[in-house]
Amino acid sequence: MNNNKLTVSHAPFWHDGDSLFQMNLNIMIATLPAVIFGIIQFGTPAVGVLALSLSSAMVWELIMNVISKKKITIGDLDSAVIGLLFGMMLPATSPWWLVITGTFVAVIIGKMIFGGIGANPFNPVLMGMAFLMLSWKVFFDFDAAYVNYEFNFTALAPLAALKFQGAQAVAELFPLGDLIMGKQVGAIGSTFGLGIIIGGIYLILRGYIRWEIPVSFIVGIIVTALCFSMANPDIYAGPGIHLFSGYTLIGAFFLATENSSSPSNRIPMLLYGFFAAVMIILMRNIGVYADGTILAILLLNVVNPLIDTIRPKALGKGVNNA
Amino acid sequence: MREMISMVVVLTVLTAVSGGLLAAVKSGTQDKIEAQIFKFALAPAMNQIFGEVENDPGKEKFEIEHDGAKYQFYPAKLADGSKAVAFETKGKGGYGGDVGLMVGINIGNDQIVAARVTTHSETPGLGARAKDDPEFVNQFTDKPLDTNLSLKNENGSIDAISGATITSKAVTLAAIQAQDLYKKLKPEILKNIQ
Amino acid sequence: MAQSLAKEFTKGLWAEIPPFRLVLGLCPVLAVTKTVENGIGMGVATTFVLVFANLLISLLRNVIPSKVRIACYIVIIATFVTIVELVMQAYTYELFLKLGIFIPLIVVNCIVLGRAEAFASKNGPALSVADGLGIGIGFTLSLAALGAVREILGAGTITIWGGNPVFEMGPAFHPFAFMVEAPGAFVALGLMLAIMNLIGSK
Repeated sequence: MNNNKLTVSHAPFWHDGDSLFQMNLNIMIATLPAVIFGIIQFGTPAVGVLALSLSSAMVWELIMNVISKKKITIGDLDSAVIGLLFGMMLPATSPWWLVITGTFVAVIIGKMIFGGIGANPFNPVLMGMAFLMLSWKVFFDFDAAYVNYEFNFTALAPLAALKFQGAQAVAELFPLGDLIMGKQVGAIGSTFGLGIIIGGIYLILRGYIRWEIPVSFIVGIIVTALCFSMANPDIYAGPGIHLFSGYTLIGAFFLATENSSSPSNRIPMLLYGFFAAVMIILMRNIGVYADGTILAILLLNVVNPLIDTIRPKALGKGVNNA
Repeated sequence: MREMISMVVVLTVLTAVSGGLLAAVKSGTQDKIEAQIFKFALAPAMNQIFGEVENDPGKEKFEIEHDGAKYQFYPAKLADGSKAVAFETKGKGGYGGDVGLMVGINIGNDQIVAARVTTHSETPGLGARAKDDPEFVNQFTDKPLDTNLSLKNENGSIDAISGATITSKAVTLAAIQAQDLYKKLKPEILKNIQ
Repeated sequence: MAQSLAKEFTKGLWAEIPPFRLVLGLCPVLAVTKTVENGIGMGVATTFVLVFANLLISLLRNVIPSKVRIACYIVIIATFVTIVELVMQAYTYELFLKLGIFIPLIVVNCIVLGRAEAFASKNGPALSVADGLGIGIGFTLSLAALGAVREILGAGTITIWGGNPVFEMGPAFHPFAFMVEAPGAFVALGLMLAIMNLIGSK
């Protein structure tokens, strides 16, 4: 017999003033450390890509709103967040049409045709990225993208190097401190590990994302990578490089936590984050992709409705002698 | 009862008519289809193997039966006057089924003129390179008949395509089969060419 | 009479255009529309089968007992499909290689059986031929349109006939390879359906 009583007070309720606009604004604030670092590192082309990505995402949503004769919803900044995250995942040298096609897929196919905000079964940003990666692999080769840049660190994409040279060679090329401080080649907003973590912690403290997904995600990366690297340290790298390179951290804090495509109860959230991370390491170590983050999280988006059925019993059910 | 009979009669007549019609169309198009297969699959391979020839191998082809299977042989007069013969063998165990290999053999000195992959269903970009990229099959060019044509890791003389060992193996099997076939059937081939 | 003939013919071109309005026969629509050429080839083959199957079925509609009608329709349709297959093999071998298994699969295309059951078995031969021709041409046009969208985005070319592109984008164009892959077919079809509905709803 359960004696706990849930009391709900009478109306009127107090609205705490929060809104979609507030939430999305805070997500954008949280990305700032990584974004600013990316702009400093990669210069004006990075500003161009980010600005184009953000604005084109909002324009696509506006166009879709007008065509479908619905209320204009760009004011909630949701597509702005999509555009910003999308831009953060592109190399700074991306051509303009790549950005615009990507935001089209992300906003229109990823979000609007499912019914707009909150109705998308997949993370729109990842949908856009997956489309682009399948079509234009060339532009996601970070080694080739930054061939004209001068860096004061190893100008090799860590994960691609890991794939082709093995863990031993990579360990010397990429000291962990460099990776954490963003001294690595990668997408605009994904290199500065520390900045992403700061942003993520800010979001957790403000309550816009729950701690379960990022934490279980990171635990998943560490556990799986450790298992692999203990089995064969020559081929498989340890958790450090997996955690601080590629899209891992941006995935943990900004992509896997996207509201409508991630679970909402504690156990499902823990499972969701953990298995997304397991899939990432499996794809990186066994699959053909250098960085499996995008496909791994999309895969878990598919599983999301299933694992979200692990939930507390609804009130009033299961009563036998009513 | 009447309905029953009409059902049986209608269906029988319908299938009989349709069978007859199809047989007629089939026999009407058969030569044309064979010519098309020759033109689009075999002729380009043969053209690459022999280069310019002085006769029409498609017209002078002959058939030899061996071990219950029929093989088509295409005789060719090469530009330098020597005689050669081309035929197709199927290499078992490709990634997507059998791999067809056309081998041209010079009858004068018993050397392989060249070999080309004709029909296959291998993975594009991997196994399909056996056909698209002649570098691999060029290894057969000018090999004497007694060469061991298996892959290098099986003590043979052929380098496998990197990333497509299974396809390479199937192609070498077809080549070895062609060697055997030619050795066994040479007297008959000579008889037919004369 | 002439008026209703025209009506039956034109309804297949817009009001009941198969893949977009009826959403039927999607298997070939999705599978073979990598290029315009493939789409047209498939459409013409299907049109041939539709017209002759409709004609024969409507001629025999009073003879065929209703209990075995589906079996009879399938026999008739399969016969014409096999004829198409043999003829294509004999005269357009390259196209036949590209369409491959989808030529024999016209037998199970629901448009063909659907028209036989819904139209030809209830109407006279002239009307049935008009219906088959209209639906067939509509199907061909849809396949060609979808093929054009996918080919121009996915490969940057337009191939109408014979394997040589009649139109090519310049080297500055980077093909959106996703569109010629299988999932791209679904996305392209969905967007085209949406556009059709948008136009139709006005």
